[in-house]
Amino acid sequence: MLIQTVSLGKKYKNGIVALYDIDLSIDYGEFVFLTGESGAGKSTLIRLLFREELPSSGQILISGRSTMRLSKKDIVRLRRNTGVVFQDFRLMERSTVFDNVAFALKAVERPWDEIKKRVPRVLERVGLAGREQENVMHLSGGEQQRVAIARAIINNPIILFADEPTGDLDPRTSMELMELFNEINEQGTTLVMATHDKNIVDTYNKRVLTLSAGRLISDSVGGWQL
Amino acid sequence: MKLSSFRYIVPQAFKSMFHNGLMTVAAILTITISLFLCTAFWLLIINVDANARQIEDDVRVLAYLSEDTTEDQYAAIEEEILAIPGVASCEFVGKDEGIKELEARFGGVDLEETLGGENPLPDRFSIMAETTDDVTTIADKVSNLAAVDVVRYGEGTVEKLFALTDTMRRVGVAVMILLALAAVVLIAMTIRLAVMARKKEIMVMKWVGATNAFIRLPFLLEGIFLGLFGGLLALVLVLLAYVNAGDYLASTISFVLVLDIGQVWLNTLVFTLAAGLLLGIFGSLFPLARFMDV
Ligand SMILES: Nc1ncnc2c1ncn2[C@@H]1O[C@H](COP(=O)(O)OP(=O)(O)OP(=O)(O)O)[C@@H](O)[C@H]1O
Ligand SMILES: [Mg+2]
Repeated sequence: MLIQTVSLGKKYKNGIVALYDIDLSIDYGEFVFLTGESGAGKSTLIRLLFREELPSSGQILISGRSTMRLSKKDIVRLRRNTGVVFQDFRLMERSTVFDNVAFALKAVERPWDEIKKRVPRVLERVGLAGREQENVMHLSGGEQQRVAIARAIINNPIILFADEPTGDLDPRTSMELMELFNEINEQGTTLVMATHDKNIVDTYNKRVLTLSAGRLISDSVGGWQL
Repeated sequence: MKLSSFRYIVPQAFKSMFHNGLMTVAAILTITISLFLCTAFWLLIINVDANARQIEDDVRVLAYLSEDTTEDQYAAIEEEILAIPGVASCEFVGKDEGIKELEARFGGVDLEETLGGENPLPDRFSIMAETTDDVTTIADKVSNLAAVDVVRYGEGTVEKLFALTDTMRRVGVAVMILLALAAVVLIAMTIRLAVMARKKEIMVMKWVGATNAFIRLPFLLEGIFLGLFGGLLALVLVLLAYVNAGDYLASTISFVLVLDIGQVWLNTLVFTLAAGLLLGIFGSLFPLARFMDV
């Protein structure tokens, strides 16, 4: 099992309990939607899974190892195997497409020769071939999200987390991006995507986890549950 | 952390310094001013010290002979002085010689002319003691001699000078600590701003699995660069000021000893750069420890 949670709970410092006793497991190569109304705890769960936040109770096991007891070295290794994209892209404005994507390789200290070769390749993969020198602020929303995806997958992560990646995009652009995500998943990357877009969930016949007020209320395949 | 990664880290440090322009300038200037004051103060102390030591080497009892002493008595007085225990040597200095010495000390003024063609100095014996400790007893005994008018010796001056350098050292240490603190605070503020300005990039670096060292090193380097730039600037300024002040002093009061720049430049260089480096490291470590961890 790639991801497993055991009575996972999260209580924020302000006293709000965002998650109660979540038990779930996700296997290698799966494509999982995480749905639920606003405030249900989707983003919280994703932040716990990529270790941006730590659980207040329970456990998260990645490849059988608890993420609570990792050394700094192991945390770094876990992150290199994990990609993440957000609704608001979180790109470096004022930088080019190339620089934004290359940044992820520089950060993991890859040699410059390798970076120069790999960035164009990943841009081709996300449908932005030849757009290296454009400033990211001059791209459309869908294209900006493609840059963010390129940055997230360039290190070939085993898991890709996406928190409402199409939340700010129109339906058509969303569907185009979903095709890209589907391809990435078909090439072997496990995908966990939070979304509250019923249309998207219904279009793809994938596993759907539904959260409500911090509890996992359903785990089924295909279609919107609420 | 790979050595080759410095190619990514060093430009980040410089970019951040330019991005943070005003704060960078403020931090460098604070370091420069702090180190300039510290170094200038230290140079002042070692020079006063050198002067005190020179006077100490030169402590002697001056026995001025009263007006009514006749020249044929001189030999007998000299014998009496030499008989005092602890006296190493005794040298006769006639009034003409005395005024020439004084004139030389004041940089070649014609004192006799200034004083209306009259030399007010009496003849004197200049007595060297075997050790500085003997000076007081010798002075006491010499003053008991009938023909001797006034006895003067430089001991008080030396003690005062050493007391002065002592006080200066103590004040200096306190001032240095305050100045260093100011410099560290300014560097810490600069690095804090730099960290905040790059918050997003730091987050992205964390997500993709950059090591703590890789994320922090640019900021540490930025602090070190600030410290070294400030130190370098202080070094240049303090040496320029030293040469000019030294020249000025030497041309006005020639009996003041000013250490040659050759004797002080190396220590000054090591101090300013090492202090700059340390300030830079401390200044950046504080915000880094507080503001980011994986
Ligand atoms: N950093 C935080 N500190 C305190 N409370 C938080 C924090 N983040 C989220 N919460 C609270 O936790 C609960 C779950 O929030 P979360 O963002 O996980 O929901 P969500 O399902 O992602 O909602 P949305 O669909 O609006 O993005 C909410 O009540 C929210 O106010
Ligand atoms: Mg959310």
